[in-house]
Amino acid sequence: MVRTTRSFVISLCIVFFCLIMAGNASAAVELYNGTVTTGDGYQINNFVIDVTDAFPSAESASFYVYNNGNEVADFLINEGDSYELDFEDDSTIEVYLVSVSSGTLPVVRISLVLNNYPLGDVYESGVIDGGHKYAVYSGTPELKITKAVDISDVSVGDLIRVTVTAENVGDDKATGVIFQEPQQAKFLLYESFVSPTGQTSLEIGESKTIAVYQLKATEAGTYTLSPTTATFSNSAGLNFPQASSNSPVVTVGAGENLVNANIEFTTTLDKYTVSRNENIQGTIKIKNTGDAPATGVTVDIQVPEGLDFKGSSGIESISGVPKIYLESFGVQQEKEYSFTLKAAEVGTYTLSTENSYLYSDGVNTQLQEVSSDFVTNSIYVTKGKYDSLLEQPIYVYAIPLLIIGAIAGWIYYRHKQYKF
Amino acid sequence: MLNILIVGNGQCGNRILDAINREAFGKKSRFAKYLSQQKYKSNVQTIAINTAVNDLKEMSFTKAKDRIHIPHLHGVGANRNVGKHVFDDNKTHIMRQIEERGNFDVCFVITSASGGTGSSFTPMLVKELKAKHDYPVYVVVVLPFREEGTLYLQNAAFCLRDIRESGADGIILADNQFLKQMGGNMESAYNGINDMIAKRILFLLDALDSEMMMVTDLGDFKTVMSGGAGLATIGFYEATEEMPVRSVIQKALSPSGLLFSTDVYEEASRAMVIIRGDRERLSIDEISTEVEKLSSAVGHVFKGIIVRDGELPQVLAVLTLETASELENLYAIAVDAIKYERDKKERVANVKEVDRAFSQIDGMDPSY
Repeated sequence: MVRTTRSFVISLCIVFFCLIMAGNASAAVELYNGTVTTGDGYQINNFVIDVTDAFPSAESASFYVYNNGNEVADFLINEGDSYELDFEDDSTIEVYLVSVSSGTLPVVRISLVLNNYPLGDVYESGVIDGGHKYAVYSGTPELKITKAVDISDVSVGDLIRVTVTAENVGDDKATGVIFQEPQQAKFLLYESFVSPTGQTSLEIGESKTIAVYQLKATEAGTYTLSPTTATFSNSAGLNFPQASSNSPVVTVGAGENLVNANIEFTTTLDKYTVSRNENIQGTIKIKNTGDAPATGVTVDIQVPEGLDFKGSSGIESISGVPKIYLESFGVQQEKEYSFTLKAAEVGTYTLSTENSYLYSDGVNTQLQEVSSDFVTNSIYVTKGKYDSLLEQPIYVYAIPLLIIGAIAGWIYYRHKQYKF
Repeated sequence: MLNILIVGNGQCGNRILDAINREAFGKKSRFAKYLSQQKYKSNVQTIAINTAVNDLKEMSFTKAKDRIHIPHLHGVGANRNVGKHVFDDNKTHIMRQIEERGNFDVCFVITSASGGTGSSFTPMLVKELKAKHDYPVYVVVVLPFREEGTLYLQNAAFCLRDIRESGADGIILADNQFLKQMGGNMESAYNGINDMIAKRILFLLDALDSEMMMVTDLGDFKTVMSGGAGLATIGFYEATEEMPVRSVIQKALSPSGLLFSTDVYEEASRAMVIIRGDRERLSIDEISTEVEKLSSAVGHVFKGIIVRDGELPQVLAVLTLETASELENLYAIAVDAIKYERDKKERVANVKEVDRAFSQIDGMDPSY
């Protein structure tokens, strides 16, 4: 009893394995073993094998093979022989003539074996009465997506209506169509009237409006709208490459409604050639020449090594970086900050400031951020008045100091000796 | 190398001692003590003793450890009796200070005869030194200006006698009155006298410990000092220009070169003449002529010659005296001063004029 159960399980496993192998393709799979009457055909996908003549007396039959209605091969085989014809990709179909029998119309029994072709990819299989002329072939849907704008020259803040349509100009129904509408940089989605909804299908020649929406231009410039794309399959469920729409070009000019803050940052120094240990007086001028107030005006003074920032009123040092911060800065407002630098080391330096501010342009809801840098002319720090003294070897200082120390010590010693 | 002790007692002794120490630096700058070392040939120890702390503070060239202050108010006020008491009270301390400096071959004590501390301390100090040590002790005594006052003259008279009786091996006299001829104001006169004495003593110390062409040493000096009446003086002259050594010797023996007024050819008993200078300038004939001239008058003269290249001739003469007419003059004046002081004291005691004035209010009380 146990042995019987084990044999059964093993047999099941073998069968399951064979099925898997057959489903995965590469093995030979008998697709059909049956009769076909002369004049009829057998369709596998877009291939049709017509039985054109059968000769019972000669125990042979002749066959014509069509692909999409076009003859691609013909052959005559005897009973017990087979013919291997090319199929899709690198696969083949082996046609085995089992028998030929006479009747009103001679009938042939054939066995069709698919070699190296996944059984799952066979979307059409069966006997066709009347042969290839009556076969139905699967087609190629082709989507023509058109993206159109109502106006291509606008100003900042203007609205553009974008209409996306799709038409199936192929010879098969497009199924499982999914449209993707990308976001457009420098534009805000102002309002959407029609938008793609899930999967859809397009019959041959059918046209659909896919999306209708309005964009708001936010920044001057010339922009190419990103295309609308779609993925789809044909009626047989074959997937096709992604289809894309055209990309309209829109030119956005500066609008009259747009305002901006334009803050000028200028750093000047009273002198650019100094001796070491001398001070340099610096001035930072901030002026808003724009037509909008600014907020969060920040100036970070990047003091190079070799110069020491000596401080100033109104300039705070945060994490060692001198910083000016203004919560708000009005239109045409001006401010000046003075500071002092000390030339600590000989060398050539530049003083730079990293400036930034925010403002509302009156169009966008988000504040606009502007950043800029300012670099002064080169600052030349030359040797100080007494620097040459410090360049001597240590003994040049040590020896006189020792001598002076010895003399002082001697004088003190003598003084103590004679002080009563 | 000789071990020499020099003690300066009182204000005058301190100042001369300081001048000696300054001269020993070889420079007269007040910064000499910072710039150089003292150039004593011998092991010279100097000690300044005073009851007046300000006098000790005035010294600049004597080490602090060599200044011994004997606390007694701010001096003894020219009163030798007080001075003697103070010395007695501090004798142990003073002697310990001296003995801590070792043993010596010769000692010089420099003092004024007229002051308080010096004139009272010196005889007692000499007595102590002679009692405890066997080295010779010579006292350089500076006599006062005659017009300095009766107390000073009185002190000088008694001081000299006390020193002579203390056992001193010789007294070298220097007379301020005689040296007054140098002129100038009082301060410069005092300084000049101090420098003059200091220079002579330094020369003498140098000569006693130098290699000589013709030798005089400490033994000769002792012999010279033991002659005569125990009194001596020193003559010195330094050529300032090219002049024959004969003239330099004559100048040293003349009143302008001596520390005490005397006629050496009449009053000297023994002499030691030390001549120093460049070999080329020291004519033996001239030296011999002058020394013979002196020895024919005084008896024995020790002669020493020190050769120093490039130096102009310098002559030091140590002369002991048989008689000292100037000293007799001093004592005559001193006697008058003593009498004057005694009479005044008696008169004050008898007349009591002040008491008479006070007696007018006897039995009366103040009314308020």
